[in-house]
Amino acid sequence: MNNIQATWFRGYVQIQVVGYHPELFFDLCVRNNINVWHIKKIDQTHCLGNIYIHDIKNMRKLRKQTRYKISFIEKKGIPFICKRTTANKPFVLGLIASLLLIILLSNMVWKINIEGVRPEIEKQIRTTLDENGIYVGKLKFSIQSVGDMQQLLLDEIPELLWVGVKEQGTTYALEGVEKTQVSEREQPSPHDIIAAKSGVITEMYVSKGRPLVDLNDYVKKGDKLVAADLSQGKEEAEEEEDTSNKNQVAAQADIYADTWYESNVTIPLEADYQTLSGEMTSKYFINWGKIALPIWGFFQQEFEQSQAEIEKKSIHFFQWELPINIIRKDTYEQRHVQEKRTLAEAKTAGISQAKKNLLQQLGREAEIKSEKILHETSENGKVKLRLYFTVKENIAKIQDLSQGD
Amino acid sequence: MNRWHQRIDNWLTNHLKLPSDVVLELPRVTTIGQFHAYIENHQGLIIFNEDEIQLKMSKGKLKITGRNFVIKTLLPEEILIEGIISTISYVTQ
Repeated sequence: MNNIQATWFRGYVQIQVVGYHPELFFDLCVRNNINVWHIKKIDQTHCLGNIYIHDIKNMRKLRKQTRYKISFIEKKGIPFICKRTTANKPFVLGLIASLLLIILLSNMVWKINIEGVRPEIEKQIRTTLDENGIYVGKLKFSIQSVGDMQQLLLDEIPELLWVGVKEQGTTYALEGVEKTQVSEREQPSPHDIIAAKSGVITEMYVSKGRPLVDLNDYVKKGDKLVAADLSQGKEEAEEEEDTSNKNQVAAQADIYADTWYESNVTIPLEADYQTLSGEMTSKYFINWGKIALPIWGFFQQEFEQSQAEIEKKSIHFFQWELPINIIRKDTYEQRHVQEKRTLAEAKTAGISQAKKNLLQQLGREAEIKSEKILHETSENGKVKLRLYFTVKENIAKIQDLSQGD
Repeated sequence: MNRWHQRIDNWLTNHLKLPSDVVLELPRVTTIGQFHAYIENHQGLIIFNEDEIQLKMSKGKLKITGRNFVIKTLLPEEILIEGIISTISYVTQ
């Protein structure tokens, strides 16, 4: 019984046997390992029966040994359907084309919804997205990831405090939160300005308040530079008792002073590092399970040393994610750099590095005026430097009066 | 020799409870109502008509009569018949 299963999948034919005692031909088939089923006798000389497609050859061989006549009545099963459909080329082409079209349309951006922001900002978001290649009708493979998109929007539109991007099938749902801008600045409470660091004052611009120091004065950290109190310091005790703030202002000033820093740097005389040369190639693959089929980016130069980045994008069919991915592989050329520095080169490299570090700490406004090498040793292929910098920077620091106590 | 054989086979079926169709090479006929007949251990088809089927057995023939017979499956030692069965009879020569 097991032999006659899934007949429709394997494909079978109905044959008619004509001859004297036609049922005996089927008996012969069975004795020669040909499966037969559904045998019907029409009349004395005609008999119908089903056999598998793959048994037809053997059946023909058997027939030659006998005198029966055989004709095929019906062909049934998937193999025949396949043959019929593949023979009908326009149908197959249309089927493939429609499938491709559905896949294409399923991977397109159809809508970008923006919520939670004013129309102006919405417009701005749309133009920003547009400029960066995210618009309705764009294929989703070439669009950056949701996280990148969020970052991009936050960078480009300063009015946005937060933006959430959600990918919902063929639509992108964006939700934004605007920064609420304070229209009027609150009246600042009266405060003094004190020195944030010790230094010698080189420039002073006091717009509000009473300056207590002068140019070329040496001030220590925490010294009061500009007073909120405008009453020239007389009758101080009385003033303090009098809680009215009439004579007190919020001091405002930029005070530049020369400050000093010491730093230690160590620079190796031999440098050995990897850099990216900037040369890069992209390749595209279609990936199914473990198989990756290259589809774009042939005949590109190969790099001796390289670093690869792989980005995967899955293909959708309607809302379902297919197990097929499009992979973009970016290969960056890498260079191995070996450098030998002389003592002088190492020194300049060390100084510039120390400067960079310092400026990073101090911020953009600071300016390095001069540097000196205090101490210098070279041992074990390394140069150790102790450096001394003079920096011009703003040392003004606001201190509320209430905190001053 | 042959008689010996038969005696041993009989003894086996009676005392060891082995199925008689296996040991004695006899057909096993299963019918489901009038509609199906399933015959195992047959040795070939002799006659097949709409109203009669004859099967070869190790000894003699098995004859089934009825109406509208169709052989549902045919295997070297098994056969499934569909139709309206009226008689099943053994013909020994």
